[in-house]
Amino acid sequence: MAADMGRMPFFYNNEGRLVQVDYALQAVSRGSTTIGLKTKDFAVLSSQVKPTRPLMEPSEKVWVVDDHVGATGSGYIGDVTTLVDRLRVQAQRHRVVYDEPVDVNTLTRGLSEYLHEFTMYAVRPFGASILIAGADELGVQLIQVDPSGTAFRGSAFAIGQQSDDAIEAIVKGYRPDLNVEEALALAARAIEGANGGGPVPIEHGIVMKDGRRFAHRAPKAG
Amino acid sequence: MTTTVGIRSKDGVVLAADKRASKGFFVGSKTVQKLFPLDEATAVAIAGQMSDAEYLVSLAKAERRLLSLRRGYPLSVKESAKLIANIVYSGMKSYSPFYVELVVAGVDREGGHVYTSDMSGAVTSEDFMSSGSGSPIAYGVLEQGYHKELSLEEAKKLGEAAVKAAMERDPGSGNGIDVLVVPNGRFHGEVN
Repeated sequence: MAADMGRMPFFYNNEGRLVQVDYALQAVSRGSTTIGLKTKDFAVLSSQVKPTRPLMEPSEKVWVVDDHVGATGSGYIGDVTTLVDRLRVQAQRHRVVYDEPVDVNTLTRGLSEYLHEFTMYAVRPFGASILIAGADELGVQLIQVDPSGTAFRGSAFAIGQQSDDAIEAIVKGYRPDLNVEEALALAARAIEGANGGGPVPIEHGIVMKDGRRFAHRAPKAG
Repeated sequence: MTTTVGIRSKDGVVLAADKRASKGFFVGSKTVQKLFPLDEATAVAIAGQMSDAEYLVSLAKAERRLLSLRRGYPLSVKESAKLIANIVYSGMKSYSPFYVELVVAGVDREGGHVYTSDMSGAVTSEDFMSSGSGSPIAYGVLEQGYHKELSLEEAKKLGEAAVKAAMERDPGSGNGIDVLVVPNGRFHGEVN
């Protein structure tokens, strides 16, 4: 039986796990440390930018999905960008159909359903977890979507390398009344702590409850 | 039906349109909006089948937003006009045409531009353009009043005069004038 399972890695294994999904999650945990933070007034997305060496431009790590939504991710960068582009198309499609900006739950649901398809057939699931931050009728939203298609809602997430250390740092420093600067500093501290403590290049994105506009935040010098 | 006008001046572009929606010989609506901004720097004036035109505008908005997010800067006026024309053209080729005649006007790095796209998807550009059933009358006024050194305020007045003249004699146009002015320099270099 077990031998048969080995030939069909896209099925459940003896423990009832989908090994392909586990492998995808492993790919995510090799990605750069990426953080999402939320209070009732705003959400921030922060991601370590890598690789960096002289003569090379850092790749974009936080993306505008639509006016009011942004996303970041960890894992295979090609998988991340493909999924982000899908989110963008879905957001615009929603505008064409309803003439209104898409709400974050509907957007996330679409991504979840898409990712879930890849857990059911003999294909490679996306090696990427996505963090989505946005502001809509229901307020500020922060959601993590995994390669299995599972969506988690919450006030703070960390994915990628040493995400356990990062989340520990955030749990210690998180307060519901954080202001934007404090939240950015906390995210940066968590990412740097997870990567040995020294300063690392980080890209930030912010969306406020008031204004409902997701925008990049230029990394502060020093 | 409808009269729409687009004028290029040295300081920007102007769009003007009437507000009547005709249902045959009946005035279906007296307060129709025929000028649609695609963003801060580009706008479209629609004539023809309202449903087709409105759908086309929402589709163009979505496609423009996607492209500018992907590449990091917005579309030029020419690119916007061509994008819309391509959608219209594919409609014609698949035997479900868009019954529209659009004036696309806006400002970009090079200044102001005015384009029209008819239902075959042909794109043309001139200093001033008009579409809709009142366009022959509007063109008469434009031909008389246009010159290259027109200020934005003068272009606005000329656009209003052209639509007003068309409304006097074209039964498909009437019930007031909408004007949209886009001054040079509105072009924003980056998205977000």
